[in-house]
Amino acid sequence: MPDGSLYDAIQEIAGQYPVRRSAIMPALHLAQEHYGGWLPPEAFRDVADALDLTPAYCQAVASFYDMYHLEPTGRHQIAVCTNVSCALVGAQEVVEAFERELGVGPGETTEDGAFTLRTFECLGGCGWAPVVAIDWRYCEPVTAGEVPGLVEDLRGR
Amino acid sequence: MPDPDLVTVAVDGREIRVPKGTGMIETAAAAGIEIPVFCYEPRLGPPVGACRMCLCEVEGMPKLQAACTLTAQDGMELHTAQTSAKAAEGQRAVLEFILLNHPLDCPDCDKGGECPLQDLTFRWGPANTRMHFPKRTFDKPVPISPVIALDRERCILCYRCTRFSEGVSEDMQLVARNRGAQSIIATFEDEPYRAHFSGNVTELCPVGALLPATYRFRARPWEIDNVPTVCGLCPVGCNVWATTREGSVIRILSRNHPEVDDGWLCDKGRFTFDHLRAGDRIREPLLRVRRRGFDPVTHEAAAEAVARGLRDANGSVIVAFSGGETVEVATALARLVRGGLGSNAAILPDDLDPAVDAFRAPLAAIRDAELCLVLGDEPVVDRAPIVDLWLRTARRAGAEVVTVNPAGTIAVPPGSAPDVCADLLAEPPRDELRALSARLRGAGRVALVWSGDDHDAGRRAVALAASLELGDGSGLYVLPRTPNGRGVAAAWRSVDAGRAEEPSGDEEVGALWISGDEALYDPRVARLAERARFVIATSMFMGEHTLAADVVVPGTSYLERDGTVVNLEGRRQRQRRAVDPPFRDELEFLSLVGGRLALPIAPWPAEAPPAERAPLPERIQVATAPEPAATARRADAGRGLQLVTYRALFSGPGVERVEPLAFQRPLPEVEVSTGDARSLGITNGDPVSLRSNGTSRELRARVHRRLRAGVVRVASEHAVGLAERVEVTKA
Amino acid sequence: MAADGRRLGVRALLLEHADERDLTKLAEYEAVGGYSSLRKALGLDRGAIVEELLASNIRGRGGAGFPMGRKASFLPKPGESAKPIYLTVNADESEPGTFKDREILFRIPHALIEGTLITSYAIGAELAFIYLRGEYLREFEILRDALAEAHSAGYVGANVAGSSASATIVVHRGAGAYICGEETALLESLEGKRGQPRSKPPFPAISGVYASPTLINNVETVATVPDIVELGGAEYAELGVENSTGTRLFSLSGNVVNGGNYELELGTPLRTLVYDLGGGIPNGRELKAVIPGGSSVPVLAADEVDTPLDFDAMARAGTMLGSGAVIVIDDRCCMVQLGLRVAQFYMHESCGKCTPCREGTRWMVQILRKLEEGRAEQGELDLLLNVCDRILGNCLCPLGDAAAMPVASYVAKFRAEYQRHIDEGGCPFGGASSLAGVMAPVDQHHAHMRGQIQVPVHA
Ligand SMILES: Cc1cc2nc3c(=O)[nH]c(=O)nc-3n(C[C@H](O)[C@H](O)[C@H](O)COP(=O)(O)O)c2cc1C
Ligand code: SF4
Ligand code: FES
Repeated sequence: MPDGSLYDAIQEIAGQYPVRRSAIMPALHLAQEHYGGWLPPEAFRDVADALDLTPAYCQAVASFYDMYHLEPTGRHQIAVCTNVSCALVGAQEVVEAFERELGVGPGETTEDGAFTLRTFECLGGCGWAPVVAIDWRYCEPVTAGEVPGLVEDLRGR
Repeated sequence: MPDPDLVTVAVDGREIRVPKGTGMIETAAAAGIEIPVFCYEPRLGPPVGACRMCLCEVEGMPKLQAACTLTAQDGMELHTAQTSAKAAEGQRAVLEFILLNHPLDCPDCDKGGECPLQDLTFRWGPANTRMHFPKRTFDKPVPISPVIALDRERCILCYRCTRFSEGVSEDMQLVARNRGAQSIIATFEDEPYRAHFSGNVTELCPVGALLPATYRFRARPWEIDNVPTVCGLCPVGCNVWATTREGSVIRILSRNHPEVDDGWLCDKGRFTFDHLRAGDRIREPLLRVRRRGFDPVTHEAAAEAVARGLRDANGSVIVAFSGGETVEVATALARLVRGGLGSNAAILPDDLDPAVDAFRAPLAAIRDAELCLVLGDEPVVDRAPIVDLWLRTARRAGAEVVTVNPAGTIAVPPGSAPDVCADLLAEPPRDELRALSARLRGAGRVALVWSGDDHDAGRRAVALAASLELGDGSGLYVLPRTPNGRGVAAAWRSVDAGRAEEPSGDEEVGALWISGDEALYDPRVARLAERARFVIATSMFMGEHTLAADVVVPGTSYLERDGTVVNLEGRRQRQRRAVDPPFRDELEFLSLVGGRLALPIAPWPAEAPPAERAPLPERIQVATAPEPAATARRADAGRGLQLVTYRALFSGPGVERVEPLAFQRPLPEVEVSTGDARSLGITNGDPVSLRSNGTSRELRARVHRRLRAGVVRVASEHAVGLAERVEVTKA
Repeated sequence: MAADGRRLGVRALLLEHADERDLTKLAEYEAVGGYSSLRKALGLDRGAIVEELLASNIRGRGGAGFPMGRKASFLPKPGESAKPIYLTVNADESEPGTFKDREILFRIPHALIEGTLITSYAIGAELAFIYLRGEYLREFEILRDALAEAHSAGYVGANVAGSSASATIVVHRGAGAYICGEETALLESLEGKRGQPRSKPPFPAISGVYASPTLINNVETVATVPDIVELGGAEYAELGVENSTGTRLFSLSGNVVNGGNYELELGTPLRTLVYDLGGGIPNGRELKAVIPGGSSVPVLAADEVDTPLDFDAMARAGTMLGSGAVIVIDDRCCMVQLGLRVAQFYMHESCGKCTPCREGTRWMVQILRKLEEGRAEQGELDLLLNVCDRILGNCLCPLGDAAAMPVASYVAKFRAEYQRHIDEGGCPFGGASSLAGVMAPVDQHHAHMRGQIQVPVHA
């Protein structure tokens, strides 16, 4: 986004709500996109400025939610659901397959900055388990055997 | 007949009648029953029911209820832990959960002995812990600012502190981060909690998690005394406890006056006490011996010299007041100089027209206003901080708050308050003000606040108040510059006028009495000192101007005085001596001087001090409102940008000597409007230079989205030497 | 069986035609009668629509099962409120095992939009929010596109379908926090705060979003409104059984052959869902237990599989219909591991506002982990039950209960298995349990939480 347009984009969203503060979540989503997948301190300053809040407040809100990242992340986000329904049908094997394929554990980012692997609470695809969300696009179901192919595809992108 | 608004509630079988809607904690208290609470604090807004400490059983409700979230309803039967086994079990459960991760370091904790959690544990707590897992550990203590330390292990996550920061002071700097068991209290990126009211969180915290860094390990509760007094640092006059140990002040706490401060203090009031121990404090009288040298002398010798100097002045004497003196000291000086020596001349920092009291109202009335109009360029928070909190309370309750200043909701050029006032009086008002004028006249309860130096003694504000016919529930608040400026001016005028003419123009002045450090800062006083044959200064600290005095007498701090002060409402309050000054105080010295001039002055307050919590005096009646002087409209011309300056709260001789408050001092910044920033190619944080009259200042830019175009704003201490118009360039 | 002796089972009402057509397209939706309920409703008095909702006796599909008509009638009547009235649709779907709202968003977004428009009109709301869980990105796109279509067709905006009513719908994306499904937490989140529940009263109907009267209903509840208007409340109430009227989408998952969503008349036996539709347990395993309403409800043992899927029957069986998420558990599952995994979820999702939930869920996880590893002492099983007991009923919102109730039920119904972990010093499944070694988010490295002090949960 060019300079100032994050500010303008946030203003536009804020206009949809009776109270501007409501726009903080969409604003944080936008800022996260703007800053390459995570929210550095600068992002909080930007959002705070656009919505007349403080950076501390914006960080407080962001840290409450799992989808905002306060640390740099990989280009691709892999979320493996390990809640009950998925776990009952082999989610842990899928996690381990990703670990093997990527060489990092859950919560970590590969050295080349390509992937962040996380286990996640129920993603809402339990009937087609195990569920994996790659950059928030759902793959349902995913078996451990399919993991190398999935990673291979992503490396190309 | 029963009062329809009263309801009957039974608490543990004790019937009590209270107004419908009274909070259950208060209802129980009225029945003599204490319900333990942690998160509940009515001054923080509606109850949140977070800590669950107050669980009680209510007849007809299956689950335990958080009593703090209930209000009295007719026929309600509440059982606390004292009569309900279920409630007792609930309370034990909550206490166990609270203590689960709380360290057992009471003996080391500065809260020990004053800690609600410690008391409750003692009364209700489990004898031993059933928790055999590692407790949460954190780095501790974390200095969240130079004046506040946070111990996250002790924190019980009651969210009082963050609710204060978000919902009372609205600085939104102290926040909760993360979620669930990972939650912590934090500031942004570990930057200091830098806000005018931050210290209140140390009093709100019910455990030893947030403590004044300045108090850590200084004392144990049984070694201290708490002296009830009144803060002497601004015209609000917050009621405080000065905690002393072995003759020194080690802490200031609020002593909630619900009409004045509602139990809040600003950080200046809370943390400046250490200036008492400043290294450059003057501890004995000094007499000039050589051109730039002083010799210490006794008070008697100093009094002798002063008496001589005054006699030689032949009535040409000027007193420059600080506005912080007690009424008693000001009266004594008036008796000596005005009554005795016949001089009429004084510099009074706040010589308000008494007619302002025709519209007086307690500060607490601001809370219930429908419309608050704040006129003047000085930020309210810097001039009379607590008034800012009252205005915020009003706005949260639904009031409209209109501010008229260069960065206000109505952004006007600097110095426009008198014009706006005049325009609001005009019929019909100017177009831009028509809507405001109509709302002002339509609103039932109006709070009118004047926040700036008014060279017309508040008469313009009085005229506006009179034309709005501000009645009961409304009020006029003219914010003086100095803490007791009103009391000092009244004291000066209370003594019969003298005979002598005021020295005028650049005539030589016989003697100049500079009373107090604040007066030493006044540029008018500095100019007078150059024209004076003989200069007396009473001051706490050595400074540039003290050096020009012939006699220097050590001055006291408000924490060392006994006497009366008058706050902005016109409320007389008693200042009590928390600690003895290490020398004779001003009144004793004046008595010594008086004795030598055959003007008897009592060395202690002669009249009875004002009663504690005396009601605010009735409004005075004025037949006709004083006629305000015509406003001299400022010509809005010239090159460059208009400069507006303000006196920051964290400035002045006391604050400057308290190292831990250095981070609160105004930053070397210039606020620039969005439009000007764009056209000058300036962004936040850029170094810029301001130039006028051959003076130049390098400051950092801060872009201010509400500041009027064409105006820049700088704290006065960073604008010394600059004129009303400045050239601004990116450095 | 229903009162008239009908055999209860599959009944497509919501999902009617969804198998034959792409109902995400406005034209297709209109072709099967879409938006005709809206036109019908706009011709009715506002109060009459609420009457129909009352007559239908439809109970909320989000979890708590409160009758929608009654909730709507708590709101001030349009015109009697000084403040605007808002509708908020709860699309935060995050209760483990639940994915039915997603089916609606994915396949029949216009039913949700139509329901939102009718409900808004009925309660006099001009602005409606749909709070959509952040992870549902594809669903967001579908809903956004459907809304754009509905807008161009004149259903959304000023003059809804040519009437004098106006309606704006704002889709608000969440960002990953289960608690935001709780209605007051949702409102806080929508207001731009941390999503922590509020103490009630005041209830949202009196003081909801922006301290204004607010109606909050689940996606499925709202999406059913067009059907109720079309059929009439009384006829709708004929479906299902007494006190549990109509159809519901059940999300079937776990150890079952055909997982997925099934629209059934309420009152259908659980067995029909698990065996007849779900195809039973795969790989020749035995049924061990069923969670009938999302992970927060008490478990049913295998011999309770005939319990009808209706609110009252489930209550009699000591559990709840909850969000309609049926999780089937076969005999390879260790119930201690299940307890641990469920407790870990609630610990992870506890908002941190109230003490018993924040501290209690963490303590539960600590004790369960010790039990699971076979390190627990005898007293610690009772301690676990006592901790559950001390959470139950003492929290600000139902999340604490949602952790305590199921875990206590696992111990109650499978106590022997818990006991063996103590007696044998380890898991009797010896690593062969289906839940062995599952990495829960509470246990992973939280790099995304910056400035976060590592809080060890386990010894
Ligand atoms: C912890 C918790 C999570 C909840 N999550 C959801 C949810 O994801 N979706 C939902 O519709 N209701 C959820 N609810 C229920 C809501 O609070 C609320 O009762 C519901 O949205 C009302 O809509 P309904 O009456 O149509 O069911 C949750 C409740 C709790 C206590
Ligand atoms: S620091 Fe103190 S006031 Fe703040 S949440 Fe913790 S216990 Fe409460
Ligand atoms: S005092 Fe009532 S919940 Fe904290």
